Amino acid sequence: MNKKINPGVFYLLPVMLFIILIFLIPLIYSLGTSFTRWLLLRPDLGVKFIGLTNYIRLFKDIFTWQTLGRTFYFVFGAVSIETIVGFILALTLNTEFKGWKVVQSIILVPFMMAPIVVGFTWKFILDDNFGLIPYMLKAIGLGNITKDVPLLANPKMAMPMIIIADAWEYIPVVTLIILAGLKSLPIELYEAANVDGATSFQKFKYITLPMLRPVILVAVVMRTLTSLQVFDSIYVMTGGGPGSATETLSFYTYREAFISYDIGFSSALNVLIILLAMIFTIIYMKIIRG
Amino acid sequence: MKRKNWKIKFLIGIIITIALIWTIVPIFWILSTSFKMPTEQFTIPPTLFPREFTLQNYINFFTRSDLVRKFFNSIFVTTTSTIISLILGIPGAYALARFNFKHANLLSFIILLARMMPPIVMVVPFFMITRFLNLSDSYIPIIIASSFLSTPFAVWMMRGFFAEVPESIEEAAMIDGCTRFQALYKVVLPLVLPGTGATAILCAIIAWNQFLFALILTGPSTGTLPILVSMFITEKNIDWGIMSAAAIVTVIPMIIFGLLVQNNLVRGLTVGSLR
Repeated sequence: MNKKINPGVFYLLPVMLFIILIFLIPLIYSLGTSFTRWLLLRPDLGVKFIGLTNYIRLFKDIFTWQTLGRTFYFVFGAVSIETIVGFILALTLNTEFKGWKVVQSIILVPFMMAPIVVGFTWKFILDDNFGLIPYMLKAIGLGNITKDVPLLANPKMAMPMIIIADAWEYIPVVTLIILAGLKSLPIELYEAANVDGATSFQKFKYITLPMLRPVILVAVVMRTLTSLQVFDSIYVMTGGGPGSATETLSFYTYREAFISYDIGFSSALNVLIILLAMIFTIIYMKIIRG
Repeated sequence: MKRKNWKIKFLIGIIITIALIWTIVPIFWILSTSFKMPTEQFTIPPTLFPREFTLQNYINFFTRSDLVRKFFNSIFVTTTSTIISLILGIPGAYALARFNFKHANLLSFIILLARMMPPIVMVVPFFMITRFLNLSDSYIPIIIASSFLSTPFAVWMMRGFFAEVPESIEEAAMIDGCTRFQALYKVVLPLVLPGTGATAILCAIIAWNQFLFALILTGPSTGTLPILVSMFITEKNIDWGIMSAAAIVTVIPMIIFGLLVQNNLVRGLTVGSLR
């Protein structure tokens, strides 16, 4: 056999080994511990194989489904706001008015801030005593909203506030992705449309929108996936509360693992998150290749 | 026709104004608070500009005994993990850009999945393994975790930059007697230097801003700046002034670096190609 090894393997091997070692070992570990009863606060009980018990608890417990519901509420709210606003902003920046580069730089700043600081900033702005927004609401006669309970302590309002803070941080990302898509649209199409006497609206509807669809789809799926990761802003702004009104899947897992110290059950939750992330990543791959 | 132009310009003006206010006001609010006297933080109605400009919050913040340590930890963890990501990511990205692999799709999928996986999934097993190996107050777990988070970005981004360099450049270098590896770091790498800079800064932003891994994997002597910020918040009575100063100090370096990336990204796309 005179089989030649692809020389590229040597360049790729270190990084793939690193990713696989650091990534797959924990995943397999989670899968393994998800079949055990392992309570760090009760070392006397030890680690015991209990089969599918954690998964049965996971699927039977209505709290899991409520948490899934809250997670999708967050993801849907955040991603739709980010996509719509990002699209409008990208269209505006694409007109390349005077000073658009400065505007783009400023709009980009929230994305570079640590999420923990973004959470703090919004917690501060929404603070009932010293915050800007409750004060402004009172000033324009909408004080009723915050009269009885502060915004972040109101079970109905807390999640929308988390969504707004998330949108503040990630609108710039969506804007940049769509803007890059807009800049790569072929100019010839627009020139041809001009020759045919198309109006601006027609050009937008029949050229820009259809040509941009794949880019928007990429932005939507990418943000859907990354917004499943939300944790820092919730940790700072509400700690999952009031009650569990802002507890998403990541936060629930965190609480089970590091407050209840239930390693077995939190691992089962992690397996659920892994499956969700894999499904979305496969969809994402299909879109960027298609 | 002229009239319509005017209308569109007006609309653009309104959108940009709203976008700028929306972006700037929250940042301005903490910046302004960080320069206010403690008494002024609690005035109602809130003041937009500090009535009495003071550096007291920054002085209080910088004289905290644990700040210097946390600041150093952040710089140390960010630098080491960025270097690790680049050392691993650059050859990998080069390979993906230049060679055909039988399972190229599977490789891309693994890298993408690593980037998309919510950190909490990794945090629990990382925590258990760290405990098992008795590394609880060491830098190793947080450095490995941070490099892991930024490596997929490094591979993804650098692959794009390498793909823009024509293969004929290395072929010429190899005809002149270079090995492929020499051609990579003597000829190709200098051409993608702006792109490498942008990639390095993105990796640094990810490591610097990382909170969840730091929360679980660092001990009292290895905590990073985001941990310090979160400690202020969870204290019962929040001192908004010192807190704002802490927030500003934490975000300023990465905002400066990030705005540099912006230019580098644009240049990275134009520089480094054959004329």
